[in-house]
Amino acid sequence: MKLAPMTDHTKPRPAFAPWDRRELPGLFSVEDSARRVGNYKWAEMRLFEVLGGWVATIPELDVKMVLGRHTYHHAWHAELWHKRLPELREMNPDRLTQPPNDEFVTFMNAIREPEAPELTIEKLVGVYRVLIPRFIAVYTYHLNGTSTITDAPTIRSLKFALQDEFDDWRDGEMLLQSLIDTPEKVERASRRQEALEKLYLASGGIAGPGSLGDDSAATGWERSVESTHA
Amino acid sequence: MKKMLPESELARDERFVRTKIEDRIFDPRGPKIAQRNTGPARMGVDRPAAGERSRSLMHGIFVGEIQALEGAGRTCYDFDDAEAPFQLKLDMARQCWDESRHCEISVKLGDHMGTEIGEYTESTFLFAAACNPDPVFRLCGVNRALEGLAIDVFKSMKDFGNESGDPILEFCEDWMLADEVTHVKMGSDWLRRLTETDPERRERALEFQRTVDAIFNLGGFRGEDDDNPVQLARDFRRLAGFTEEENDSLAELARRSTEEARQMAEMATAALDASAQNT
Repeated sequence: MKLAPMTDHTKPRPAFAPWDRRELPGLFSVEDSARRVGNYKWAEMRLFEVLGGWVATIPELDVKMVLGRHTYHHAWHAELWHKRLPELREMNPDRLTQPPNDEFVTFMNAIREPEAPELTIEKLVGVYRVLIPRFIAVYTYHLNGTSTITDAPTIRSLKFALQDEFDDWRDGEMLLQSLIDTPEKVERASRRQEALEKLYLASGGIAGPGSLGDDSAATGWERSVESTHA
Repeated sequence: MKKMLPESELARDERFVRTKIEDRIFDPRGPKIAQRNTGPARMGVDRPAAGERSRSLMHGIFVGEIQALEGAGRTCYDFDDAEAPFQLKLDMARQCWDESRHCEISVKLGDHMGTEIGEYTESTFLFAAACNPDPVFRLCGVNRALEGLAIDVFKSMKDFGNESGDPILEFCEDWMLADEVTHVKMGSDWLRRLTETDPERRERALEFQRTVDAIFNLGGFRGEDDDNPVQLARDFRRLAGFTEEENDSLAELARRSTEEARQMAEMATAALDASAQNT
């Protein structure tokens, strides 16, 4: 028995469903994204190395175990960025795995500096009240600004990384709130945060100046359009 | 923070009491205990004080997991990219996560078995092996020797859990056993890759591994006889990449260590008897 067709399968449908509002333009060119991704990788590497190194120096058992887990999260982010770089035309990932400037190196060295067993608060403040909130900010800026069509692989990695960053931020902040139980410890945490914030400010951010945007500069899309019409 | 943290600076809270492994093995009370003929030393539910022995071993596993976590973490930090490639550090970071999870499992198992944290002493020999300035030596000492020992210990504890009708102990030991196979393979893979063009370095690293293996055979702690509390887990070692030759060599080493322990116990017992007669 031959069945009559129920639908007209040759009827054209729009390539993008009405609910798919993604657009082409984005803030970043291929080179812009690659440069930022290289900065992200460098910072995530320095972070996972110090989290791993701190475990043996921290006497609090619950903090040890949390840092062990977080070490892997940031190492995995570094691996995501390592794999993304060749896809952004950087065949030698090490070349772009760089800090944005010397000031950011100074900042990361300050983050990694505390060693003594009585400095758990200083260690955690640096990571969970200064650095990881900055990762959240710069990743969110990149996620919101890049082309949702052409840079979709970066967006996917940013979303995975951001989920870890939010979870780790919460873990670290809760540990800090449980450790800071005297006014003197509040002052220690504040002093540490203030000193690191100033160093971070001097660097311009994880991706250097423009980490969270620069209104005066043309975006990657704008540069691309201008060069096409030139 | 400096590179290469010494064993003496390992951070602990006040519950932990540190001892040296040789103090435990050469404890002069050992011969007195050996005089009691309580049958085979192999872990078994019908053994005297089986519960106490399993709790003691579980606490030993717990402090070992902390040190394994700390050792893997230091390897992430102590070396630059030329000394330890990025991919090696990724594997060490993954090991940090695994060992952190093992710490969590061990704490829960300790609760399950009625053990307090710090109820037994801690020997920091595992971390000492992880302090070696050569990353290849660290991988041989920790990932091949000590994680290999962990395979043996977890298999023995898993069997004990099965024999004693404790599904929680059996379940947890089996999950940790799976991870240890991965860690040993990491060690084997990186040993091969980092010493591909340096056979002398490979041989020195393997010698370090044999030294670590020998220390944990002291007193007959591990072997294939009923005199050994922990049994060599050949099948799982094979899965982890140890050759039959390596397993045979380890078994022979264990037999010699067990015999040496028996002779030392006999000599110490004779000395005790002679001393008692003279008084």
